[in-house]
Amino acid sequence: METELTPSQSLQLIQDMVQQAKQSFQKSNFYFLLWGVLFALAGVVDHLLQRAGVQMHWVIWPAMGVIGGLVSGIHGAREGKRQGVMTWMDRVQMWLWGSYTITLVLLIVAAVSWGRDPNPFVLLLTGLPTFVTGALIRFRPLMFGGVLFWMIGLLSLFVLREYSSLVFAFALVAGYLIPGILLKQHEDGLRPA
Amino acid sequence: MAFAPLDPILHNQLRLAVMSLLVSVERADFNWLLEKTGATRGNLSVQLSKLKDAGYIKVKKSFKDNYPNTACTITTKGVDAFEGYVKGIRTYLDQEL
Repeated sequence: METELTPSQSLQLIQDMVQQAKQSFQKSNFYFLLWGVLFALAGVVDHLLQRAGVQMHWVIWPAMGVIGGLVSGIHGAREGKRQGVMTWMDRVQMWLWGSYTITLVLLIVAAVSWGRDPNPFVLLLTGLPTFVTGALIRFRPLMFGGVLFWMIGLLSLFVLREYSSLVFAFALVAGYLIPGILLKQHEDGLRPA
Repeated sequence: MAFAPLDPILHNQLRLAVMSLLVSVERADFNWLLEKTGATRGNLSVQLSKLKDAGYIKVKKSFKDNYPNTACTITTKGVDAFEGYVKGIRTYLDQEL
């Protein structure tokens, strides 16, 4: 049997359902925490390896990238299945971070082939998706994180190369890790288990 | 005033709920719709078929982790119909005031 609706009931129902759908986008704090920890660690390890005179010190960066990529992929696939929905917000973020990753790899290749330290450019680029994601999900600490990436990226152009990895690690803590922790508290509070 | 001009396909609680959810997302699984609408499996299945037959939604059946999975997306025709329906109830409510 079909339930008949009055116009005001219809409007209320539409509003309720749209509101429900709005709250269904995937939580993104995991990715900021993961990449924040991995690359802050990579920066510190790279610095220590350089000081110890290890030639292949840079290997830590692609190694962390592969680990982060695998963990992110598995987590994303699991969350997607569990959630059972793909929102427009999820779609926009997926393309934003996907195109960022491609640009990032190309930028690193370009910087290395020019004999330049890629870290400042990576930080300047990372400010963009971080800031945009913060604006999309209306979370100011993440927008502030994006601004910090731009500022530290600019400053790191004038830092001695031997300290570049440490500055990079600091930027990851300030731009990803701290906003990520705040985002986790925010997202967990929004939707309790 | 008569409420007749409204689209009869959408003028149903569960079908309208489903369309309101689908218009807000890109794709939704059957179980997600079930959870959000609080409907029974049988009823939701029937109403999805009606929306599909009207050309308002697309239904894609597949397997996810060895279990059957139904993913629904709204069509352009569905979006137009939904917008027309919302316009219709707004007009009705404006006349009521």
